[in-house]
Amino acid sequence: MDTMLKAHSLLLMAGGSISGDQKPLTNDQRWGVTLAGLGIVIAALALLVLVIFCFGKIFDSINAAEKAKADRKAAEKAPKPAAVKAVAPAPAPAPAAPAASPAPPAEDEDEVIAVISAVVAMMSEADGTTYRVKSVRPASGFSGRSAWAMDGRRNNVSPF
Amino acid sequence: MLNILLDILRGLWETSGLYGLIVTDGGWKQLVMIGVAFFFMYLAIVWEFEPLLLLPISFGMFLSNLPVVNIEDMIFHASYWNEPQSVEWLWKVLHDGGLLDKLYLGVKLQIYPCLIFLGIGTMTDFGPLIANPKSFLLGAAAQGGIFFTFLMASVLGMSAAECGSIAIIGGADGPTSIYVSSKLLDGANSTLNTGTIALAAYTYMALVPVIQPPLMRLMTTKKERAIKMPQLRTPSKTEKIIFPIIVTLVVALLVPSAGSLVGMLMFGNLLKESGVCARLVDTAQNALMNIVTIFLGISVGATTTADNVLNLEFGKVMLLGVIAFALGTMCGLFLAKIMNWISGGKINPLIGSAGVSAVPMAARISQKEGAKADPTNFLLMHAMGPNVAGVIGSAVAAGVLLSVIAY
Repeated sequence: MDTMLKAHSLLLMAGGSISGDQKPLTNDQRWGVTLAGLGIVIAALALLVLVIFCFGKIFDSINAAEKAKADRKAAEKAPKPAAVKAVAPAPAPAPAAPAASPAPPAEDEDEVIAVISAVVAMMSEADGTTYRVKSVRPASGFSGRSAWAMDGRRNNVSPF
Repeated sequence: MLNILLDILRGLWETSGLYGLIVTDGGWKQLVMIGVAFFFMYLAIVWEFEPLLLLPISFGMFLSNLPVVNIEDMIFHASYWNEPQSVEWLWKVLHDGGLLDKLYLGVKLQIYPCLIFLGIGTMTDFGPLIANPKSFLLGAAAQGGIFFTFLMASVLGMSAAECGSIAIIGGADGPTSIYVSSKLLDGANSTLNTGTIALAAYTYMALVPVIQPPLMRLMTTKKERAIKMPQLRTPSKTEKIIFPIIVTLVVALLVPSAGSLVGMLMFGNLLKESGVCARLVDTAQNALMNIVTIFLGISVGATTTADNVLNLEFGKVMLLGVIAFALGTMCGLFLAKIMNWISGGKINPLIGSAGVSAVPMAARISQKEGAKADPTNFLLMHAMGPNVAGVIGSAVAAGVLLSVIAY
């Protein structure tokens, strides 16, 4: 406690309370600088935590309100189309793709199926075998992340 | 006739570099330093250890240790930098100094570190820190290395200026080390100089992948290292624009002496995040950074003369420097472990070691160690938060040291 008080008084004198030439430092001075210095750094950054945290909360609520408003408007203007159950066409009947599963809930399901079908078609051209997409379902990778997300993350961190 | 010829040959011999090496007292020291310079060049070129800085530093070291009597007059005057700064001194450097003397003014007057911080600001994404502000605490804890090393150096009987200059190496931030040491060490109060401090700081920054992993494995269990952290939210553009302004305001109000470093860092970041100063951002992160890096590297390298480096004091700097670095890493890991315990196992302690600056190397090490424990663990962005917080933290710590120690 005594050291803390001395550290505090040392800081109040800041503005060069210890001469740069002074050698050696007294016990009070060395402990004062150590404790007060670390304390100030932690206090300054803790204050930043608080301020940035509050700003984050404010912005989160603003963003959430704006998103909800936009969603409401979008829902009013264009009601969602029914989920697509159909399966994209493929070049020709052939060995089946993975087993069927429940339809994915994604909003842009059509585009995803089109992209997958295009890739399958390319593969089909490349190896001379014809495939048919029977169903599309999201595949879970490790730790519940999608295979796309996992692959993207792998690509991002691979240079490191 | 023969005598004249012999006199000419003797004169040539006595002014040659070989004479300086073989006959002059301490010539062997210069030879050793040239060997060290070649070793650093090898590390930079072959092993690519921080080549952008190590190569200019090593060439500056090479130049200032060449045993040619007149070269010192031509390019660098070691004696100038042992004098207290004054108007007369400044005039002497500008009038009589060599090229490297004039370039070194940018270090001595703390111009280069601030410009480098400007460039770093334009290259830094504070998004992970804004998304997870708790990372600031890890950046603060890792500065423990600075202050505990200050304590150790003072116990060894060093002066306050020396303690502060050595301790700041623990911040793992080259420009900050140069900034603090160039203010505190004026040549008259110490045998140390900014060049030796910078050399130690950049050496240890290059050795982050060697120093940190054993400590990380020592202080964490495999289960802790495998902890997966939830994905961070994406901060909005407005938040990213407001962030540098808030940080500058808070830091400048609390620790004014850190204002120039943090101010320039945040100014660079504001230029980047505003999205309306593409040309300035491009200049700050490319042309300006490159020019300053060249000037800084070669002029700091030139200060590492044999007399400055080959002595016991430099050995102490290197020893205390590595201790500072290790302590900083350990303090960050320790706080991260506490935060993990408090959060009920949601924070991977490995991100704590990234609280020392060394951007982005320290964050990469956290990522690598996390991936070793579990290949599906992605800690990079989580570690970037403490990592960039460490830059701010070390600048604040520098400000505290400069506030307390008179210079």
